[in-house]
Amino acid sequence: MELLEQFARGDLEAFELLFRQFQSQVYGWIVRIVRNREVAEDLTVETFWRIYRAHARFDPTRSFGAWARRVATNVALDHLRHALPEVQFFEFKKDALKAPPADSVFQQDLRKNIDLAFRQLPMRLRVAATMALIEEEPYPDIAEALGIPIGTVKSRVFRAVRLLRKKLKRLGVEP
Amino acid sequence: MKEQNEEKIRELLKTMRSADSELNRDLWPEMLRRLDSGPVRVPWYDWALVALVSIWCLLFPNALLGLIYHL
Repeated sequence: MELLEQFARGDLEAFELLFRQFQSQVYGWIVRIVRNREVAEDLTVETFWRIYRAHARFDPTRSFGAWARRVATNVALDHLRHALPEVQFFEFKKDALKAPPADSVFQQDLRKNIDLAFRQLPMRLRVAATMALIEEEPYPDIAEALGIPIGTVKSRVFRAVRLLRKKLKRLGVEP
Repeated sequence: MKEQNEEKIRELLKTMRSADSELNRDLWPEMLRRLDSGPVRVPWYDWALVALVSIWCLLFPNALLGLIYHL
């Protein structure tokens, strides 16, 4: 509590302690959204830079971790909005999509199409689906980080899956 | 049928690899560099120049056309 009060007053040493305590957590959250280690490191520094500049607005009675996660989410989303499309956004687990060798071409196409369709999803649906279905983060955590109700997160995930099915169908893929 | 497909899509999404979320190095040195660089500041002589040009334009309004031409 005292540490948070010191930070809110602009104390650099308090900020350093908080940085060291939360940098891994913030980085971990950002890398799940942007899925690129180097970019996530830069965005972690950017997140703490914004946090430091906004120290006077921080309420020491609230959770620093939750606030940092919220700021990190905004920073990551800002990045994704302006980032060039990646060659491949997702990788797949090696044992995923087990199939006989004869099907390997089909499986590769399927992976490529899923990746393509997923990247075409609107940003807010894509982020909700990434955090909920791929990273399997709890819905309340996602809701808090995105600043939306849990019901909205569920609805976005539902819409993301439905849209993905339609996009895959348009690409000629029936999963 | 739709529900079955959507369930399959959910299963496929679960097979997408989770991003490696371990931070392998301390980012504090970079944070310090960022803090040292600080916000972009406009030097005092730029403000002085703006003030001089404004005064000049007030005293000699006709000169404004010449200034715009040169800009």
